[in-house]
Amino acid sequence: MPDVELVNIKIDGKDLQVPKGEKIIESAKRIGVEVPFFCYHPRLSMEEGGANCRMCLVEVAAKGPDGTVRKMPKPQTACSLPASEGMEIVTESEPLANDRRGVLEFLLINHPLDCPICDRGGECPLQNNALHYGPPTTRFIEEKRHFPKAFPLSEYVVFDRERCIHCARCTRFTTDISGDAQLNFLKRGADMEVGTFEQTDFHSKFSGNVIELCPVGALLSRAYRFKARPWDLVTQRSICTQCSNGCNIKIDSRTSKLQRVNARLNEDVNEEWTCDKGKFGMDYVSADDRLTQPMIRKEGKLVPATWSEANALIVQQLRAAGKLVGGIGGARSSNEDLFAWQRLFRETLGVNNLDHRMGPNFPAANAGLYQRFGYHTMGNSIAELERMKSILVIGSDLVDEQPMIFLRVRKAWRRHGASVVEANPKSMDDAESPNRVGEFASVSLKYRPGTEVALLCALINVMVGEKLLPDSSAALRPAKAMVDSWAPGEAAKECGLAADVIHRAARLLATRDMAIVAGRTITDHPHAEQLLDALGNLAVITGNPGNFNVPVTANNQQGAMDMGILPDLLPGYAPAEAPGMNSQQMLEAASHGGLQVLWVVGSDLVNEFHDPALARRALQNCPFVIVNALTLPETAALADVVLPVHSIAEGDGTVTNVERRVQRYWKAFEISPYIHPGWLVFGEIGAQLTGRPPYASAKEVLREIAATIPIYGNISFKSLGDQGIRWQYPVSDRKPPEMTAIEYKSPVSASLHQN
Amino acid sequence: MPELKLLLKHRDEPGIENIETYEKFGGYAGLKKSVTMERQAIIDEIKTSGLRGRGGAGFPTWIKWNGIPKDTAKQHYVLCNADEGEPGTFKDRELMLKLPHMTIEGMIIAGYSIQSQAGYVYIRGEFVESALAVRRAIDQAYKAGYLGKNVCGKAGFDFDIHIHMGAGSYECGEESALMSSLMGERGQPRLKFPHGPLPVIAGVWNSPTLINNVETYACAPHIIANGGAWYAEMGTEKSKGTKIFSVSGHVAKPGNYEIEMGTPVLELLELAGGITGGKLKAIIPGGSSVPILPADKCDGVNLDYESAAAAGTMVGSGGYIAFNDSTDIVLLMRRTSEFYAHESCGKCTPCREGTRWIFKIYDRIVSGGGLPSDIDLLLNICDQIDGRSFCALGDAAAWPVRASIKHYRHEYEYWIKHGKSPVGDHCVPPVPQVLNPLLTLTLA
Repeated sequence: MPDVELVNIKIDGKDLQVPKGEKIIESAKRIGVEVPFFCYHPRLSMEEGGANCRMCLVEVAAKGPDGTVRKMPKPQTACSLPASEGMEIVTESEPLANDRRGVLEFLLINHPLDCPICDRGGECPLQNNALHYGPPTTRFIEEKRHFPKAFPLSEYVVFDRERCIHCARCTRFTTDISGDAQLNFLKRGADMEVGTFEQTDFHSKFSGNVIELCPVGALLSRAYRFKARPWDLVTQRSICTQCSNGCNIKIDSRTSKLQRVNARLNEDVNEEWTCDKGKFGMDYVSADDRLTQPMIRKEGKLVPATWSEANALIVQQLRAAGKLVGGIGGARSSNEDLFAWQRLFRETLGVNNLDHRMGPNFPAANAGLYQRFGYHTMGNSIAELERMKSILVIGSDLVDEQPMIFLRVRKAWRRHGASVVEANPKSMDDAESPNRVGEFASVSLKYRPGTEVALLCALINVMVGEKLLPDSSAALRPAKAMVDSWAPGEAAKECGLAADVIHRAARLLATRDMAIVAGRTITDHPHAEQLLDALGNLAVITGNPGNFNVPVTANNQQGAMDMGILPDLLPGYAPAEAPGMNSQQMLEAASHGGLQVLWVVGSDLVNEFHDPALARRALQNCPFVIVNALTLPETAALADVVLPVHSIAEGDGTVTNVERRVQRYWKAFEISPYIHPGWLVFGEIGAQLTGRPPYASAKEVLREIAATIPIYGNISFKSLGDQGIRWQYPVSDRKPPEMTAIEYKSPVSASLHQN
Repeated sequence: MPELKLLLKHRDEPGIENIETYEKFGGYAGLKKSVTMERQAIIDEIKTSGLRGRGGAGFPTWIKWNGIPKDTAKQHYVLCNADEGEPGTFKDRELMLKLPHMTIEGMIIAGYSIQSQAGYVYIRGEFVESALAVRRAIDQAYKAGYLGKNVCGKAGFDFDIHIHMGAGSYECGEESALMSSLMGERGQPRLKFPHGPLPVIAGVWNSPTLINNVETYACAPHIIANGGAWYAEMGTEKSKGTKIFSVSGHVAKPGNYEIEMGTPVLELLELAGGITGGKLKAIIPGGSSVPILPADKCDGVNLDYESAAAAGTMVGSGGYIAFNDSTDIVLLMRRTSEFYAHESCGKCTPCREGTRWIFKIYDRIVSGGGLPSDIDLLLNICDQIDGRSFCALGDAAAWPVRASIKHYRHEYEYWIKHGKSPVGDHCVPPVPQVLNPLLTLTLA
C-alpha cells in the first residue's frame, strides 16, 4: 500500500482511524457496525448513479472550515460519504429508524410481496431489511404498479419489473464492469424501468452477474427459476471448468442435481464475477445422459458392464500391447487424475506417449518462452494486469478466450487509467460482440493476417526512432536489421494499416509496466515461434520481461503441463529421457495400426482435435480404445471401453488455472457409486498390473504430487484453503532475456506471387 | 416602492434583441470595461455587489466565481442554466427572448474572469423562440468580435458559446442533473459535496465549471459597468439589487416585474394591477416549489431572502402566483403534486415513490374517497421525503403540500367529509374514478 493519509473519525461514539476518503459505510464495518443498504456495492462506482436507495442514511457532524464540528442538517448516505478528519457519525437513532422505516415503506408500496413464489425469498436483502427496519404494516391503499411478470431480457435472464426497486446495480454493472452498457433506465419517476434500448436482447457475455447483484427477485435466471427454495439448496465450493481462468464458484445442488452456479469471492481471480459460460454452462455435471456404469463393446455394440469386467479387459489389452500404448487428453481433468494417469503410463507401462494438446502446434511446452523468460505461459498474475500502465492485447478474442483477464484489462483502463492497444487480424470479426477490447482500446490495429512480425518490428522501430526508450541501441543489436527494415510506412503498407496508428500505439506501449497478452491467433499461428520471439522482443526492449503473457485456454491445461501430460516433460517440467509421441504422432501411428491401445481422457477427440478426420481414422483403426467420459460423446461411441468418471461436482481435487494458481474443489454431490474418480481408475489398473495398492483418496495423490514435484512442494488440501496458491518458479540465476533475431516470410509478397 | 428597472429597463425598446440597439443603450460596456480589468478585480466587484444566485437558492455568486481554480491545468467551463422549468416562473424566457445579449455579455465577463474558453447555454427544450433569439445574438456577438478569438481585441482571450437544448425534463434544471444531461447522460443528479467534488472543482467533463442562472449572468454587465458598490446600494442588507418576479394567477396585468429586493409582497401585487375575480386568498411568491403564503400572513412580508424565510416561504426563482378566493387549495395541490410526480427523475426512493403516492392520495380525495387519516399520512410522507431525497426535487415536492395543510387544513377536512370542494363545484377537473377494490374495503 502506498502512504495513505489516516483521519480520526467517531462512529457511534467509538474513535477510529480510517483512510481519508473511505466511505463511511466501509469504516463502520471496521468496528462491526452494519449500516443497511440496497444500492451500495463496493465494486460499482458511486458516480454512475449510486446513493439512490437512501437506505444507509446516517447522522453526520463534520468539521467546518472554522474547525468546529457541526451537525449537518440532513441525514447523509453512508455509502457515498467520504471520511474526513473529525467527522462524527451516528448510525442508530430514533430519527434514523424513522428514515429507514420510511424508505422501506416507499420501496414496499409498489413491491408485489409475492415472496412465496419468488426465487429470492429466503436470501433477499429486501426481506431481511424489511424484517429489521421495516414498518409492520402498510398505509398504502392505492393500486400498485403492474407489469407482466417474467419479461425475458435474454436467453438467460428474465426480469420481473414489479419487484424492481430501481437500485441501479444492474445498470451500473453493465456500464462499469462488463462494459456492454446493455441495461439502462427507461422513462422516469415512478414509471422508470430497467430495460435495453429498443427492447433488444440483453446480449452481454457477463449477463448472469446481474442476477446475483439484484437485491430483490427482479432479475432471475431462466434456468433456475422455480427450481428450488434457497434453504433447500446445498452449497459447495468449486471451480468453474469452462475455461482456464478457474473462477471460484459455488455449486448449489438439490437432490444430487446442480441447480445453479454463483460466484465465489476470490480477489486474485474472478473477484466476485462469473461469465455466462460458467454461470449457465456448468449444468453438464447433472446431465440426464451421464454414464453410470462402464460400457464394453460386444459384437459391435457398447453394452453396460461391471467395473471388474472393464478393468480385466483393459489389463489384458495393456499387457498384450507392451509399449504400443498412447494417451491423449486430460486438459479438463484434475491434477490428481493426471498425476495418477502419467504414473500408470510412465512407471507401470514405461511409455511417454502422453499429450494433452489438440494442436495444431506442438511446440516443446512453450520451450522458447521458458528458455528466454523463465516461465511457460503467463508472466503476470491476473490481478497484476490491473496495475499496468498500458496493455497490448494481440491476436485474441479476449472475452471468449479469457473472460476474467478481459475484465481485468477493462478494469485497468476504467479504474486505473491504463491505455489499451488492441491488435487483431482483420479476419477476426468481433464487431457484433457486446464486450470487446476494441470498445475501450486507445488504438485498434486491425492488421492483415500473417503480418504480425512486421507490425511488431515497426512498433519497436518507432520507439527507437522517436527515442521513446532509454538508450536501447546495445540491447537492440541482435534484432536491429529486422527492426530497421520495418519503418512504420513500410509496415503500414504490409499490414494494411495507417502509419499514424502504428506511431500512436508505439507511444502508448513504450513504457515500463506494459503487459502483453497474446491470444489463440498467436499460439495457433503456423509461425507461432517467430511470433512469440517478436512479441518477446517488444517485452524486452520496453523493459517488461516479466509482463509477457501467453495464457492457456483449456480448464486445467496448465495443470496438465505441470503434471507432465506431455511426451517430452515429466511432472514438474523435468525433461524426459526418451520423449514419446505427441498427440499428432500418436494419432498418425494409431491410424496405421501403430498403436495397440489408445486411452482418451476427458476429451471429445473427434470434435476437439484440430484434424477431426485424422482423429476419427485413428480411433477406427486402433485395436483397443479406452475413453474416460461423463456421457457418450462421438469419441466415446467409437471406443471399445467407456469408463464413467467423476465431474468436478462429484469429487475432491485440485486444478491449476491460467496464472498457475492451484485451486481446490470439494465434492458437492454423488450421482452414482459406480462413477469413479479418474485417479481411482488409473490406480486400480496399476494395482492389477503391479500389485501395488491403488490410491485411497485424492488427498493421498496430492500428497504424492507434493512429494514428487518441487514446485508443488508446499501444496496440500490444507495449505490451499479456499483461495488457492499460485506456485512459483524456483529462483534461478538465469540471465535477463535478450533481443533475438526473427525470421519473417511476408504473406503479402507470397500471395502476390500466387496471383 | 415602484418598479426599479435595471435589467428590464430597455425591454420594450423595439429591436433591443439586436446588437446595434443593445449597444446603443449601453450594451457591452461592461464587457469592454472588464477586459481592461484584472481578473480578480472582476470577482471582487461581484463580491462587493452582494449578488446572489437568481435561480432559486440564493447562493452568493462571487463564491462560485472565486472557487474556480486560478490555474488552467484543465479547461474551465461557463454554464448558463436556462432550463427554466419552475411552474410560475418565466423571467429567463423573456430575458432570452428580448435581451439575449445581456446574458451573453455576462457569460463572457464570467468566462474572462475565470479563464474559460467555452460556455454552454442549456436552454429548456420548449423555449424554441428564446433559443432562436439567443442563437441570433450569439451570431451577432461573433461578428462584432465579442465572441471567438481575442474577444474585444484582448489578446489571448478566446471565448465560444454553445447552445444545448434540453429534452423536456424539469429535473435538468437542477445543476448537477443539467451537467449530466449536457454530457449526454441520463438527466439525473450527481453526487454533491461532500459526497462528490464541487462543480467549481470537477463539474462537466470533470473540469472546473461555473454554473449560474440566466438572470444572474444578466446582472454581471451592470455590476461591472457601474461598480459593485452601486449595485449594493439597492435592496436590503443581505439581499442586494433587483429581482425579476414573474407575476401570474388572478391578477389584472400578469407579466415580468423587476423590483428592488425587499419590496413588500402586496406592493408587487398592486404593480401587477391587483387581484381579479374576488379577494386575495393566497400567494406563492417564488414558484410552485415554495410554501404557500395565505393572504392574512402577507402583511409585513417583503420580497427578499431573509424576510421571506422568516415568513416560512422563499423568494425562490421569482414565480409569483396570486390566487383569489375561488381557488380550491386541495385541487391546487393536487395539480402541483401531479407535476412533481411527473417530473421526478426516478433516481432515489423517497422522491420516486413518495411523489407518486402523494398524487394518488390527492386523486383519491378529490374523487370522494378521502379518509380522515389522509391528512396526517400526507404530512408523514412529506417528512419521509424532505431532506431524505437525493436532490432538492423531493424537498420541493414536500414543502408546498406541508404548507397548504398547515394553513388550509379545514379545506382538506371539508373535502374528506363531503367529497366536494369547499369553494364550489366550478373548478373540479375530471379525475379518474377510483376502482381499487382494496379501497372500497377500507371505506366499508
